[in-house]
Amino acid sequence: MNKKVLIVDDDDDVRTFLLTVLEENNYTPLIAHDGIEGKDMIEKHKPDLVILDVLMPRGSGIQLFRKLKTDDSLKKIPVIMFTGISLKSFLRSQKVLDEFQNGKVPKPDIYLEKPVEPEELIEAIQKKIG
Amino acid sequence: MKIKKLLFVTKFEDLCFDTLSSLLNLRKADLEHVVFLNVIERDKVAMHRGGDGFLKEETVKLKEIANIRFIDWAENLFEMGMEVGAYMEVGTLVPQILNAVEQEKPDLIVIGHSHKSVLKQLYSGSDITELIRRSPIPILVFKHMEKNNIVPEEPFKNPLFATNWSSTSMKAAKYLKTLKNVVGKIDIMHVTSEKKLKSSSTHDVQKIRKQERKKLDGLCDDFEEYDIDARAHVYIGDPVKEIEKAAHEYKASMIVMGSSKKSELAERWMGSITKTIADKSIFPCLLIPYTKNKDKKI
Repeated sequence: MNKKVLIVDDDDDVRTFLLTVLEENNYTPLIAHDGIEGKDMIEKHKPDLVILDVLMPRGSGIQLFRKLKTDDSLKKIPVIMFTGISLKSFLRSQKVLDEFQNGKVPKPDIYLEKPVEPEELIEAIQKKIG
Repeated sequence: MKIKKLLFVTKFEDLCFDTLSSLLNLRKADLEHVVFLNVIERDKVAMHRGGDGFLKEETVKLKEIANIRFIDWAENLFEMGMEVGAYMEVGTLVPQILNAVEQEKPDLIVIGHSHKSVLKQLYSGSDITELIRRSPIPILVFKHMEKNNIVPEEPFKNPLFATNWSSTSMKAAKYLKTLKNVVGKIDIMHVTSEKKLKSSSTHDVQKIRKQERKKLDGLCDDFEEYDIDARAHVYIGDPVKEIEKAAHEYKASMIVMGSSKKSELAERWMGSITKTIADKSIFPCLLIPYTKNKDKKI
């Protein structure tokens, strides 16, 4: 059975790109358009991997990532951050939030800055879920 | 009501990161989430004038320009531990703002003043007027103190609150009280109409002034209970001119008003104090909307 990969991204073109790459490589893509829908889909479908944008309507990828990684039933799902936000900024935000929320959240499994070539994306996915 | 989330509507030529930075003081009043909205006007990307089709390349280009700015701004806010969201939409400004309000449930809309021409405003109304009429939440119409293009460093520091004692004005007072951690001092004013002072007796005229002053002092006391320093001022004459004058005299950082409940048509042709000040004043204006059912209870 194909592995399920959830795409959480508000950009039509990015979703189309990811969808095509995933289907061509025999993964089953699932789609969410924003942070809230992303969270609902994760809880409902328990995907094998999540590809997560950061800057989105209705909840950023940063908050969703933190929710995922602090939920015992979901924290083992690997996450590929796929975003225009730089890794440096992302890590700084995590540091501040760790202090605010008094709890350290692990780094994302893989961090890809947009845009990437299909090969790079597939290599990242395969590295996490085969 | 607290300002936890604000919707920042920008065309980039009007509101930029300096404006947003000046509002970050609201973090002391619970601000934790900023949502950006950029609306690409349909005309800019329509295939034919008035047509439904879109020029894909132009749309992609304009969206990416907005995205690049938003990513840069978002990085700054994320690094402060804030939550950030963004919308880049093609359409008509006010409906897109209202859609984002519906989706995000923000506590405040921040927008630059209208860019429509006077003639266009007369026939189709200004964006701000339409927004004031349709928005369920307060609107901050941001200005750059136009002549010198400087953004007020702390727009909420010294607001001038112009009250006409309407239910919406009282709602504005209530709103301001929630901002006690960011407001330094409030100047509260009421403009009495010259008509009211038409009397042959000095005593009667003084009585009116005294009554107004007493009401204002009562309101100041209310603010002081919330640890907000407040001063009362009575002005006489044309409200639009007097409010602007008071804002200058007391070096206000913004003007705060409750919006009127005039109909769309009446407002477009006769104007309203709120609309005129929001459009013409050099000061940022915080407008508290009139909402039919809720305001009656206050």
